[in-house]
Amino acid sequence: MIKQINFINNILGHIEKWLVIISFSLMALFSFLNVIFRALYTKFNIQWANSALISLDWSEPVARLMVLWLTFLGASLLTRENRHIRIDLMGHFLPPALLAVREAIISFACTVICSFMLYASIGYISMEMQYDTSLIMGVSAWKWQLIIPFGFGIIIFRFAINTLKELIKLTGKKAQ
Amino acid sequence: MILILVIILILLALLGMPIFACIFGAALLGLYSEGVNSGAIPIDIFRLASSPVLMSIPLFTFAGYLLAEGDTSKRLIRFSKSLLGWLPGGLGVVALVSCAFFTAVTGATGITIIALGGLLFPSLIEEQYKENFSLGLITTGGSLGLSFPPSLPVILYGYVSGVNIEKLFMAGLIPGLLMLVLLCFFSIYMGKKWKIKTTSFNTSELVASFRGAIWELPIPFLIIAGIYSGFCTATEAASVIVFYVLIIKSAVYREINIFRDLPSIIIESMKMVGGILIILGAALAFTNYLVDAFVPMTILEFMKGIVHSKTGFLLILNFFLIIVGCMMDIFSAILIIVPLIIPLAEGFGINPLHLGVIFLINLAIGYNTPPVGINLFISSARLKKPVIQLYASTMPFLLICLFALIIITYWPWLSLFLPDILK
Repeated sequence: MIKQINFINNILGHIEKWLVIISFSLMALFSFLNVIFRALYTKFNIQWANSALISLDWSEPVARLMVLWLTFLGASLLTRENRHIRIDLMGHFLPPALLAVREAIISFACTVICSFMLYASIGYISMEMQYDTSLIMGVSAWKWQLIIPFGFGIIIFRFAINTLKELIKLTGKKAQ
Repeated sequence: MILILVIILILLALLGMPIFACIFGAALLGLYSEGVNSGAIPIDIFRLASSPVLMSIPLFTFAGYLLAEGDTSKRLIRFSKSLLGWLPGGLGVVALVSCAFFTAVTGATGITIIALGGLLFPSLIEEQYKENFSLGLITTGGSLGLSFPPSLPVILYGYVSGVNIEKLFMAGLIPGLLMLVLLCFFSIYMGKKWKIKTTSFNTSELVASFRGAIWELPIPFLIIAGIYSGFCTATEAASVIVFYVLIIKSAVYREINIFRDLPSIIIESMKMVGGILIILGAALAFTNYLVDAFVPMTILEFMKGIVHSKTGFLLILNFFLIIVGCMMDIFSAILIIVPLIIPLAEGFGINPLHLGVIFLINLAIGYNTPPVGINLFISSARLKKPVIQLYASTMPFLLICLFALIIITYWPWLSLFLPDILK
């Protein structure tokens, strides 16, 4: 059981890493091209740069969307390593057994909260589908926003795994 | 019922629950109590994709991680040594200046102590600086360049508060320099007192070390010049800097293999970005709720009942922000506290740019404040010294920083005169 879960977790991790690399590269490239062409046109008055800008007008919103994608991909990879930003008043002082209790409680609470967020974002997406108006690169806006529920889904999965792992750690200690 | 859940949430936050989950929880509770559908939260999350400014955050973070790879840190230290090493207490000055510089070029992502500490600490000890002095120096150095471009906290502060980011960078320059210079004087004073032998100034070494770092040294100055002259925005500067750093690291210094090293640098830096921006997404939703529920106005009324002067308000603000700074990392602090403080400061007639500088300097100091300032733990782990020893060793540095903070807080001109010229 644990083996299968780890296997799925690893495959998800690989997919996410590739998506991160692709999203970041696209964002960096698109924003760079926009800056260069805009500078060539406005500062040096080169005409073909303007036509390049116009033909690339779809790239700026895509670059901005990639920020949203990177947010969720990065956050879910961070969940996998349990390295999210937190107020850590006790982490440096607690004994390991209590630390495992703490992590189990926290991961479980996060699972619950993110499940509510998953529910909220599914509601949001279905609303967007009804009023499906805007297109980005010929793809409906709501399809680009699917990363929000997917992101929360994977984050929930990982927090649930963390909860399980900490519980196993705890009961394992007791059995000895 | 709601009250119990709120208390549980606060306890979980203090226990160490990830901040993004705390704020999503708070936003969910807030909307529930107002009877608003929770589908309103993702609308605010989607705002992450609507601002060009936010693009600069992944871009600068990536450039910072890229610069932290390879020998940039060594080249920086070598250059500042040849430039300033001849001063009494010279190596201390070198350490402070290179830390501030490195923090600035890496966007204040918290990697300064890890990247420079291990290089600087042994050489300080070797030159007969006292151990506690050296520890305090490096720990404090870890948050020195925080208000210099292209620091991420400044960009985030600008985004959340609506203050012009380019102007905020200008406002932070002189206060940041003031703190750096005061600490340098302390190092020079101690160097003289301990009669640490100085090295002589060597022109050919200066030229050689300058040549070595010639591609990296101009980075912050290019950014400052670019946005000061109005040639580009912070985001445009970020996209250019990414390619610039990529080229010098892979083609000029040949420290990075694009196919072998780049994927893991992208992934590591984007984990950091995801960690910050998901908190931002949550904070955008939560702030919306707070404003709808008139929370900032209520706090303002309450504060006006206790404090009657600008001076008194600033004093309370400083005190409060240092406590926040030692408990929370700077990014969460900006995202959560700034929306609450802006209307307060407006009510007391404080310039938003000045407020930004006070906020950032305060949080930078909070990093080194016992018992839970994060720099203390990073130094403790990196330099393998007990945290208790670091509490004692940072104390004199902390006092100097607090002195600088008082000047910065009560002398607004220091922050405002550069942005005023910019207009």
